[in-house]
Amino acid sequence: MTNIPQILGHLGQMNLGRIVAALWLPHGESTFSPPVQFLWDFWYWISVFFTVLIVGLVVFFSIRYRHTKDRTIAEDSPSHNNPLEITWTVIPLIIVMVIFALGFTQYMNMDSPPANSYNIHVIAQKWSWTFVYENGAISNTLYLPVNTPVKLNMTSKDVLHGFWIPDLSIQRDVVPGRVMTTWVEPTNPGTYWLQCAEYCGDGHSEMRAHVVVEPYAKFQKQIVAAANIFEQDGKPLPLATVGKKLYTTLGCLGCHSVDGSKGTGPSWKNLAGSTEVLANGKTVPVNYAFLKTMISHPGRVLIKGFPAGVMPSYGSRFTGKNVKNLYAVVWYINSLSKNSNKASQPPVPDKPKGSEPAASSKSPKTAAPATAKTSQTATPATTAAPTTAKAPATPVAKVPAGPQPMALHVLGAKLYKSLGCIGCHTVNGQPGVGPSWKNLAGYPQKLTTGKTVIADYKFLRTMILDPGKMDIAGSPAGVMPVMYKYQLSGKKHPHENKLNAIIWYINTLSNRGSKATEPPVPDVPVAK
Amino acid sequence: MTTITGNTMGHTPAVAAKPDNYLTHGKTIGSWLFTLDHKRIGIMYLITALLAFFIGGMLAEVIRTQLLVPQGLIFHGTGSVASSYAAYRYYNQVFTLHGIIMVFLVLIPIIPGALGNFAMPLMLGAKDVAFPKLNLISYYLYLVGAILAIVSTVLGAVDTGWTFYTPFSIQTESYVVVMVLGIFLVGFSSIFTGINFMVTIHKLRPPGMSWFRMPLFLWAIYSTSLIQVAATPVVGITFVLLMMERVMGIGIFNPALGGNPVLFQEFFWFYSHPAVYIMILPAMGIVSEIIPTFSRKHIFGYEFIALSSLAIALIGFLVWGHHIFVNGQSAELDAVFSFLTFIVAVPSAIKVWNWLATMYKGAIVLKTPMLYVLSFIVLFTIGGLTGVVLGALSEDVVLHDTYFVVGHFHYVMMGGTLIGFIAGMHYWWPKMFGRMYNERIAQWTCVVLFIGINLTFFPQLVVGAEGMPRRYASYLPVYQPYMIASTIGAYIQLVAFLSMAGYLMHSLFYGKKAPMNPWGGGSLEWETASPPPHDNFETTPSVGDPYDYSDLVFDPAVNGYVHIEKPVESLAPVTATH
Repeated sequence: MTNIPQILGHLGQMNLGRIVAALWLPHGESTFSPPVQFLWDFWYWISVFFTVLIVGLVVFFSIRYRHTKDRTIAEDSPSHNNPLEITWTVIPLIIVMVIFALGFTQYMNMDSPPANSYNIHVIAQKWSWTFVYENGAISNTLYLPVNTPVKLNMTSKDVLHGFWIPDLSIQRDVVPGRVMTTWVEPTNPGTYWLQCAEYCGDGHSEMRAHVVVEPYAKFQKQIVAAANIFEQDGKPLPLATVGKKLYTTLGCLGCHSVDGSKGTGPSWKNLAGSTEVLANGKTVPVNYAFLKTMISHPGRVLIKGFPAGVMPSYGSRFTGKNVKNLYAVVWYINSLSKNSNKASQPPVPDKPKGSEPAASSKSPKTAAPATAKTSQTATPATTAAPTTAKAPATPVAKVPAGPQPMALHVLGAKLYKSLGCIGCHTVNGQPGVGPSWKNLAGYPQKLTTGKTVIADYKFLRTMILDPGKMDIAGSPAGVMPVMYKYQLSGKKHPHENKLNAIIWYINTLSNRGSKATEPPVPDVPVAK
Repeated sequence: MTTITGNTMGHTPAVAAKPDNYLTHGKTIGSWLFTLDHKRIGIMYLITALLAFFIGGMLAEVIRTQLLVPQGLIFHGTGSVASSYAAYRYYNQVFTLHGIIMVFLVLIPIIPGALGNFAMPLMLGAKDVAFPKLNLISYYLYLVGAILAIVSTVLGAVDTGWTFYTPFSIQTESYVVVMVLGIFLVGFSSIFTGINFMVTIHKLRPPGMSWFRMPLFLWAIYSTSLIQVAATPVVGITFVLLMMERVMGIGIFNPALGGNPVLFQEFFWFYSHPAVYIMILPAMGIVSEIIPTFSRKHIFGYEFIALSSLAIALIGFLVWGHHIFVNGQSAELDAVFSFLTFIVAVPSAIKVWNWLATMYKGAIVLKTPMLYVLSFIVLFTIGGLTGVVLGALSEDVVLHDTYFVVGHFHYVMMGGTLIGFIAGMHYWWPKMFGRMYNERIAQWTCVVLFIGINLTFFPQLVVGAEGMPRRYASYLPVYQPYMIASTIGAYIQLVAFLSMAGYLMHSLFYGKKAPMNPWGGGSLEWETASPPPHDNFETTPSVGDPYDYSDLVFDPAVNGYVHIEKPVESLAPVTATH
């Protein structure tokens, strides 16, 4: 609690000099910031002028013309004057038109990312941010290379969120069901805050992330290291330790406590090996099979007393090749329980050969959220999570500049994430906003016109580059962004290769791929 | 008993016997609950809206107290992240309810419902509004809607924010449907009031009162009614769709069902931006009445003030998109909305200059209503200018959804609408209840409130520009000094409002008897007794220029202003001093 001297002390910290000197905005650290600051200053001094003028006139008139014994009625003065009216209409009009024009031109620049931008996919969910880089690395801290344009393709898993970095002068809402884009070119290395600006529920005010702007080389190293969380310094980590990291990076901590306190979902403390009462009244033991169902298919089973439909579907993050993530999280849940037993443990051992037991059995930090986030930044590598599509044995930094030519479908799998396709299209057959890519190529598709067409190369190409041309029945129209035309098309354009890569990737996901569905260039580069 | 009429009032002494007035005309509860008297309905609006304002105000104090410390002083966790989030839900419910109550139950209905109902027919010299029964229905729709809003809170509250943005409002496990149903009913109340007032102004103007001889408050009420009738149905339909989405899953706003969450924002702001003008236009009308009365001078630029109300009402329909610049609508569309937003700023500026020109060379009486009006001009100027920077596209990107926006709209809504209402309430209080309040205490309260408002909302402008987002239950420690200052301001406001409640209540029982025309107003409501008789006027008053004060002089015998025969003589002392 605060007492009066403390409050006065706090007030003393308000920088009155800054308030007077029109420097309210954060000292911007991106290419957008100087023009925004200029327009702000322009507006600020005009506002100061008019406020002083109006307040001055109010005070002056109130004193000069105040009602006294000798002055009971107004002096004779006209009650209208058209030239005066026109003057004070036109002057404000000119001023606001100047402000409009400046604001508009600056905004158009903010709206047009350069073609050579580095792509980062931003995933927003209640209540955490996840960033996926071009090499497949995942982190909860946003790493940005300095003096490099970065395009952010943003999707939301649940409700509206607001991507807002005050120090970099960028903000964009993240609307579910769409890929929202913005871009930024930071000009100064440093650590800044990303805060959620669009109200999103309980944890809205804690939905923050660090933004680390650093030199390009350091940035590269950072995301290469971030691409693998199962190892540290070349040594494999105990699975429970990895699970503890995933608890943070995947956002579990927003709803599940690890100290027994109440949250939106059940606490993980002493969960494994106990029993739970389901919404239908049945009592079930919390064993491995139960935890697996709850994590990979929430909604299939409901626990009594907890709201339905809150837990996001992590889909492929926990299945298929990524089942290791599931083991890690379940091992972590086990490490938090005194009831843990054989039945509640995953089928693979926690400790890899030759590793120390590490901190897996220690209780996690219960510090205030802000401090917890700060410590994340201090050791950025620990906040990273693995790629979802494949084990990144040799992460490739920038696609065109890879050390070896890679198979196009591998490139396609990366683009699937970095361009934001992942937001709407699943690769495991589950429904999404758009059609799943699993068994898409070579199969007939029903259009809204009633016609049925085979999803061949030509069809896929049209759907990606010109999404409004045909609408597939059952998928909403107008959702798929048209921007890919500019990113992927043009016969002579180097990006044509990216289009082929995506279509090759779609082909590998189908058991009916054929000559007709494949792009005109071979998948595996000839050089190999 | 003395009969008071517009013709004989000039030299009539204070009312001797106790006359029958609208307050004493029928003393049963039923005579109030089923009254068709516009004055009584106005008083019922006043009481209900002030009760709602009290609840909304106390919620605001809870919000400010929570934000004294970065982790939250009232609602905070017990250590784990999950427990914090669970606690913050209560804070989210508090600010949601604060917003809903203040916008839908206070700001929108309070001036048309309370002051408009009471004063408009009197200013027209009419006996009542055009449709008295519809007027009563409006009030009850408002009351039932308000009760439903409270019921939904008792059941388990709503945590969507007053904007009900989808898909959050579809997914949240709170009583959205009940709340939205309540607002839907309040919306119909608003529509009915709008229709009623428009017809009243068209049809019940007395002979001689042409459009351009109406008091400016009526122009403001007319423009407001226009918006109420044209815009409110849109939000009604939107809320019906939202209810259907929640109950039946029709998939119009829900992206998981192929719906478009941004569509909700478009619909919502298509009403809610014009609603801002529903709130501010009547307040501007009150200012346009009080300034000439207390400057003892004819209003300056009557036509420009009157037509700027209409211009604001019409252009105000075309700017809703400026609430959603960063939600992904096309840049070209953003540009159009930005342009129109700047255009709508100009008529407001015109009004301010005309008010100042009215004061020029006046004989300014700094009584309480005038003090509030001067506060209005200063606070509205700050609110308006901060709105200008938000309209600039690139600046909106760095200010959208921050406390700068919160500060801006509180300057406009609280410093504008609410202060305008308070000014009007003090202006017509003697007319409503026949009693004077303690002038000295009221003046000091105004000063304290003015300081409190600035201390509350100016730090919010600064902290927002520095990057603090709105609707935060907890925040980064660097913002704390501003948050503390803002909270102190809110407590100062509380003191001012308690004082106001105190001296107004006191005046009802112990206040001096009010004269017919305590301020020297020239419009028709001052041509009848305070409080007015049930039928408003004994004889139809004669219509003149509502802003001609030359034949009104202060008569100490009645402690109010009376008409004199030869206005020219009264100019003599003034000219002699120059």
